[in-house]
Amino acid sequence: MADFVQIFVLSITAGSVYALIALGYTMVYGILKFINFAHSDVVVLGSWVSYTVAAFMFSRLHVDAEHPPLWIGAVVLLAAMAYCALSGYVIERFAYKPLRRAPRLNVLITAIGVSLFLQNCGQLTPYNLTSQGDLRFPFGASPQRMPDLLGENMSNDDRVMWSISFAPDANGYAPRVVVSKIDFSIVVSALVLMLALEILIHRTKIGMGMRAVSYNFDIAALMGVPVNAIISFTFVLGSSLAAAAGFLYALAFPGLNQPAHEVWVLLGLKAFVAAVVGGIGNVRGAALGGFLIAFVEMFGMRYIDSNLRDVYVFAVLILVLLVRPSGLLGSPEREKV
Amino acid sequence: MRLKSLFAKVGVWVALGAIGLGGGSAVGQDKAPILIGHYGSLTGSEATFGQSTSNGIRLAIKELNAAGGLNGRLIELKEYDTKGDPKEATNSVTRLVASDKVSAVLGEVASGLSLAGGPVCQENGIPMISPSSTNPRVTMVGDMIFRVCFIDPFQGQVCAKFARENLKLTKAALFYDQKAPYSDGLAKEFRKAFEKLGGKITAEEKYTGGDQNFKAQLTKIRGTGPEVIFIPGYYTDVGNIALQARELDLKVPLLGGDGWDSEQLGKIAKQAIVGSYYSNHYAPDQDDARVKEFIAKYKADYNGATPDGLAALGYDAAKILFDAMKRAKSLGGKDLRDAIAGTKDFPGVTGSITIDSKRNAVKSAVVVEMTGDPPTPKYRATVAP
Amino acid sequence: MALLEIAKLNVHYGAIHALHDVTLEVADGQIVTLIGANGAGKSTTLRSVSGLLRPTSGDIRFKGQSIVGRPPHELVRMGIAQAPEGRGIFANFTVAENLDIGAYARRDQAAIRADRERALTLFPRLRERIRQNAGTLSGGEQQMLAIARALMTRPQLLLLDEPSLGLAPQIVQTIFHIIREINASGTTVLLVEQNAHMALHTAHYAYVLEVGEVVMGDKAAVLAKSDAVRKAYLGVA
Repeated sequence: MADFVQIFVLSITAGSVYALIALGYTMVYGILKFINFAHSDVVVLGSWVSYTVAAFMFSRLHVDAEHPPLWIGAVVLLAAMAYCALSGYVIERFAYKPLRRAPRLNVLITAIGVSLFLQNCGQLTPYNLTSQGDLRFPFGASPQRMPDLLGENMSNDDRVMWSISFAPDANGYAPRVVVSKIDFSIVVSALVLMLALEILIHRTKIGMGMRAVSYNFDIAALMGVPVNAIISFTFVLGSSLAAAAGFLYALAFPGLNQPAHEVWVLLGLKAFVAAVVGGIGNVRGAALGGFLIAFVEMFGMRYIDSNLRDVYVFAVLILVLLVRPSGLLGSPEREKV
Repeated sequence: MRLKSLFAKVGVWVALGAIGLGGGSAVGQDKAPILIGHYGSLTGSEATFGQSTSNGIRLAIKELNAAGGLNGRLIELKEYDTKGDPKEATNSVTRLVASDKVSAVLGEVASGLSLAGGPVCQENGIPMISPSSTNPRVTMVGDMIFRVCFIDPFQGQVCAKFARENLKLTKAALFYDQKAPYSDGLAKEFRKAFEKLGGKITAEEKYTGGDQNFKAQLTKIRGTGPEVIFIPGYYTDVGNIALQARELDLKVPLLGGDGWDSEQLGKIAKQAIVGSYYSNHYAPDQDDARVKEFIAKYKADYNGATPDGLAALGYDAAKILFDAMKRAKSLGGKDLRDAIAGTKDFPGVTGSITIDSKRNAVKSAVVVEMTGDPPTPKYRATVAP
Repeated sequence: MALLEIAKLNVHYGAIHALHDVTLEVADGQIVTLIGANGAGKSTTLRSVSGLLRPTSGDIRFKGQSIVGRPPHELVRMGIAQAPEGRGIFANFTVAENLDIGAYARRDQAAIRADRERALTLFPRLRERIRQNAGTLSGGEQQMLAIARALMTRPQLLLLDEPSLGLAPQIVQTIFHIIREINASGTTVLLVEQNAHMALHTAHYAYVLEVGEVVMGDKAAVLAKSDAVRKAYLGVA
């Protein structure tokens, strides 16, 4: 019983990250009808830029590493989001926009090219941007350790936020459900961002423009919606969310693997599955899909076999594509009158 | 007449010059450097393994060259980065053997990578010495493949013995990397030995190297109430696992093998790894004259850094190779191989090394504990074979 | 100077030459209609005016200024609106949202609210269904919505692409009646139609488009009586 609740809590955390990444895939698909395969590499960029900025700030600002002020985390997050937003804009402008009216296959292949480009450039030997050598770019081919934004050398008890103990069982072991501070931070941040996105899309003018463009370019243009600007904005938005996901991921798993490591590809792939399962092009679907995939993965690992973690996720994908291909919240074949 | 004699004089000088400068001449060859190869993961998730080994090898080369080399010939190192990838390992060794034409190859650390590079050396008749691959299958590839470290059946016993007799624990959980032959093999050896000593394995969970989220498996492990968790993996993963275990309020000590040996482990896991143990080839605070001497030399050359087990083994492997080269009838593959096989009681930093009939080294292991801030390995016990 | 002037316009779809040297004018305050058979190039003409298609050669002038090459949303701001072929309403938006998006390019909140009122008064059926998803409306209601939405941009020139398509005659009458009302309150209309009868009855001036070329242009009343037009488009033998 305790394990069930524990896995539930862990799924919410993992699902938050998947959801944030899935939102980027779904928004770009909704607007341009293509899968931006380079999206997961923007997540990697978000993680590694977070690391670079955090390490730099810790080195320069002489912060008390054991009790760093919380605003450092906010600055790191904003820096990562800004950098990735810019990257998203540049990628769209130079790699995808020229192919706006080309066959979908062309731009898909370009996306794969952009992905490989980002991975390999990310692994180039870092160059010192400052004379003290504390700001290095790009990231090199080996893992690095993200600084603890909640405080270095926290004792094990400090890491735990809430802990519920159950009665001891026959072996004398008392089951517990633990929510760590990191888990809590991740879920809250992700929910805030998703709520902000929901408000943006459904309650603001620019959100209305996004929804119009994703329905039909030309008709939206006839309404006076600046289509190119909206498309760029969508990429920027998706990339910012990817950056936030990368930042939260780096907080949760501070031993950052190098940019071309396959674990990042798998992360992006599972988030993509989440977007498809929820209904590709549907923003609420992506959020739902993210959590659903996380639940399937975590519960499968705990109760069936921990070996097959990715298999569960892809099995869900196959099931959804067979039974309801437009996804859980997707509308089956929009009727264009 | 004068022209003819001029031609003759010039001709003689040219001939003498050709003999002097000619690469194929018998006189010139003795002074050409001896080429040896090293393939290691200089980048990637196990980057410190390759880098430390490389440092150790280079230190040994530097010492030998400073003393005049081998019979007047200097040692030259050709090195390639495997990036932690078996395909790259095979490519690197192929380049060393076929294109650089080295006399011998040193490497790799990770057993999976040694298994990828070994067959190339074996086919081409070039001896290979692995400084730290502990999976038994590595030397079974062929008679050209050696190692200067202990093997996992022994290491598994060491860990099991330590858990049962030193820590006095009965219940252990296994959590290992199913993709790495090293991790998989060592876990099995530990289970065998631990159960033989009367211990009980409460859970067996797996992960894939590079995974980030281990909490589902750790939750399952937690539910079975182990007193210690044996994690025979590589340091980047172990660091993340330790952090997450503590975040799940799982407080039991962790136990591992030489795959933990990297300064990155303490950096990643911080306080989460304090109070955990692992078996290794040497401990920097061992009270041993050779160890102290080696550490002093290493620190002098590498900016005050303390060498880890990989560096020590790299050093020992290179020195054993040079020792064999001195004893060998020639530097040709078979002769060199025979000389390496005859290594007996070699005084290495990591202990007295004898190569047995299976081409493995018979040595003791140490167990260290991670303590302090930042966490570093401290000597706890020695276990003899 | 006419409100809209199209001069020797040539448009290609890849290798297909869709419009050949098309020349026509829309005088300010009039209803001008472009009639022709399926595939004659009528929609192509409207799409080019709205900036969705780039002509190969020729000029389009609005209020004396050349507008070729400008992005569509800029033309909306200049005063050109279109109710596209097939209605093109946003099916997943409500009626209200469809009207709102029509006003996307505008900032004058008070005037927008006034125009909305006017549109809903003009089309009372829309007011009844204001919260419904536009996809659930009937064909006629959707056409009304498309026009209302175009009016929300407060255009000087309203382009209508086949408003009678797929609608029952009763509804068609209502729609064309409303078109006349819109024109009466000051909006110039360029109407593209297959239904030549209604079009010629409603418009002041008319052009006939055949296989991408303008073959006739005269007052609508005159064309309605011409034998050629009657034979080809009015079903009179």
